[in-house]
Amino acid sequence: MFVTDIRKDFYEVVANQRVALLVAPDIDALCACKILQALFHCDQVQYTLVPVTRWQDLDTAFLEHKEQFRYFVLINCGANVDLLEMLQPDDDSIFFICDTHRPVDVVNVYNDTQIKLLIKQDDDLGVPSYDDIFRDDEDEEGDDSGNESDEGSEPSGKRRRFDEGAVERRIERQRAKREWEARRREILFDYEQYEYHGTSAAMMFFELAWVLTKDTKDMLWWAVIGLTDQWVHDKITHMKYVTDIATMQRHVSRHNHRNEDEENSLSIDCMRISFEYDLRLSLYQHWSLYESICNSCYTSCSFKLWTLNGQKKLQEFLADMGLPLKQVRQKFNSMDMSIKENLRDVIEESSNKYGMKDIRIQTFGVHFGFKNRFLASDMVHAAAALLESTEKEDSDSDNFIKALDSLSRSNLERLHSGIELAKKKLMAIQQTVASCICTNLILSQGPFLYCYLMEGTPDVKLFAKPMALTLLCKYLLKAFVHSTRNKRCKLLPLIMAAPKDVEKGTVIVVGIPPESETSDKKNFFGRAFEKAAESTSSRTLHDHFDTSIIELKTEDRSKFLDALITLLS
Amino acid sequence: MDPSEVEFLAEKEVVKIIPNFSLDKVYLIGGDLGPFNPGLPVDVPVWLALNLKQRQKCRIVPPDWMDVEKLEEMRELERKENTFTPVPSPYYMELTKLLLNHASDNIPKADEIRTLVKDIWDTRIAKLRLSADSFITQQEAHAKLDNLTLMEINTIRTFLLDSLNCMYKLRSNLQPGSSKGQFTDY
Repeated sequence: MFVTDIRKDFYEVVANQRVALLVAPDIDALCACKILQALFHCDQVQYTLVPVTRWQDLDTAFLEHKEQFRYFVLINCGANVDLLEMLQPDDDSIFFICDTHRPVDVVNVYNDTQIKLLIKQDDDLGVPSYDDIFRDDEDEEGDDSGNESDEGSEPSGKRRRFDEGAVERRIERQRAKREWEARRREILFDYEQYEYHGTSAAMMFFELAWVLTKDTKDMLWWAVIGLTDQWVHDKITHMKYVTDIATMQRHVSRHNHRNEDEENSLSIDCMRISFEYDLRLSLYQHWSLYESICNSCYTSCSFKLWTLNGQKKLQEFLADMGLPLKQVRQKFNSMDMSIKENLRDVIEESSNKYGMKDIRIQTFGVHFGFKNRFLASDMVHAAAALLESTEKEDSDSDNFIKALDSLSRSNLERLHSGIELAKKKLMAIQQTVASCICTNLILSQGPFLYCYLMEGTPDVKLFAKPMALTLLCKYLLKAFVHSTRNKRCKLLPLIMAAPKDVEKGTVIVVGIPPESETSDKKNFFGRAFEKAAESTSSRTLHDHFDTSIIELKTEDRSKFLDALITLLS
Repeated sequence: MDPSEVEFLAEKEVVKIIPNFSLDKVYLIGGDLGPFNPGLPVDVPVWLALNLKQRQKCRIVPPDWMDVEKLEEMRELERKENTFTPVPSPYYMELTKLLLNHASDNIPKADEIRTLVKDIWDTRIAKLRLSADSFITQQEAHAKLDNLTLMEINTIRTFLLDSLNCMYKLRSNLQPGSSKGQFTDY
């Protein structure tokens, strides 16, 4: 059931108890976890933090902790499956789920006792009504058994007429039941067909903090990072992003007004969050402008930087703005002040001429101390790179803790190392995209496009991780759409496979919806993968919280793909 | 004595806070902490003030002396005089550090205050060094220093005592056949 008063029904319930926090591995979940941890620290609530990367981990964590904990808080996992059936908990375990995955499983919505959803009900959910899906079948059985006992006895004339009437009624009832069940299957199919994402979990917890009047600038910044993560990884539509930015902007102005005025200026060490209408160049303030333009998806695809022509256009672009190459290639902080001052406006003007209408995007930046200035997207890239770093010694939970640490203000070296890793990741993505496009690795299979990363590709280890692979997938699709001339291919979705584990012989497969300006980001590959796996009995593992990401045995790849083609055409 | 011990002693000083919760009177071994009502100022020791601030349960009111003009006057006075002038609080250095690290958003013009307090500290330490230096070189028998705080005494204690011990040893070794010629090695 949905929680209406988050303070009374959630926070005050757990405030005096020990809580287990099960957190999924994405940046939005990390930010939500940080906010909740800060609230728990204020009120000295005992909690245990368990990072869970897949459904199996969730299961194991639950089994380990179910003796000691009654209350479980799940962040960004658990809403889109029937949790009670999966975990088989005791009757007194209570689950609070704050998850952006939609559609929310109907059992989770209509369970009144054990599952509490920390999700806003006006969040565009479209849950089918109770009567359409659940129905009491007791009346049916009583009538049927009554009729059967009638038939067993000796039929007389009068009873025969009575029986015929009863039989007709029974046939009528069975037909109605079959119709109802068919309609129910249809409704459920429509409801569960497309997977998409709702409001950021970090924003939900920030609202909780606001209701408790314990919101600080740190928590506001984490909420902003959570929202930006949804935008960077293309999980929400542009409209929703803009609406949510407006909500955050209200909070930001409230915090800024509270503290600063002309006479009593704040210490330089205090955190200042400001609204920025900044460039869509990833990490440009921590890199050189040239590198940032070459490695950001938007600019690289618009210029088609994998072609010679594209490189020439880039040089023209820079010349058009009057930026000398020497300046543009050095670190951003060392560029001349005269160039930095009007940089955004100059770039916007020039990019309009080259067909890039949305080079600027609304976002937030933070500023504390004398030299620490970060944009929200910088933090997202850094934390994501740390979370999925492929250093050999680190396990998944170590990476999780490192990424979590990088979000606090006191761990700036961690954040800077994350930024360096993010730069490498972005460069790897760009090179892979360039090589895929140039060697025509993207094949059109009919209803979708398909690309397979060979094992020897440089940096292929980076793409064994789901978030990095999804990012690569999106960039590749954008680049393909810009580079192909085939009009039909531009509207196709893309499925990408990359080797995951060489010894076990598995690949990780990701499917993303087609690229379009007004796409609603609804992904149907979750169900499609399931059906294809069933029909070919391929050995698949649907273990990720995003249903559109699966693992597959390399040998089963071709028959799985064939099944998908037949399914989707 | 370790500087952290001095800081620990400094945390007993009393500071005013404005809580946002309510609590009845609390009876502790060190004293009573009077009832907390949201929005009404109450005096508490610094250790409690910092803990409440970190849990976002209060707002710290800077002490009276933590004001830019007053500190500027004190700094000028300190620079003019040869001896030590009275200090705003016996733990001014520690309180400044603690309050500005944890509650700088409640203290107006925090950066300037930090600079001013550091200036006052530097001047006093310079005077202390000069005085210790002259004490040792002129082999004085006794000295009287007013208005020193525990932190300042602590910075010079080890050095002054060790150097006086060394001087004593050197002096006693100079006198021939002295009975006090025990030379202990550290």
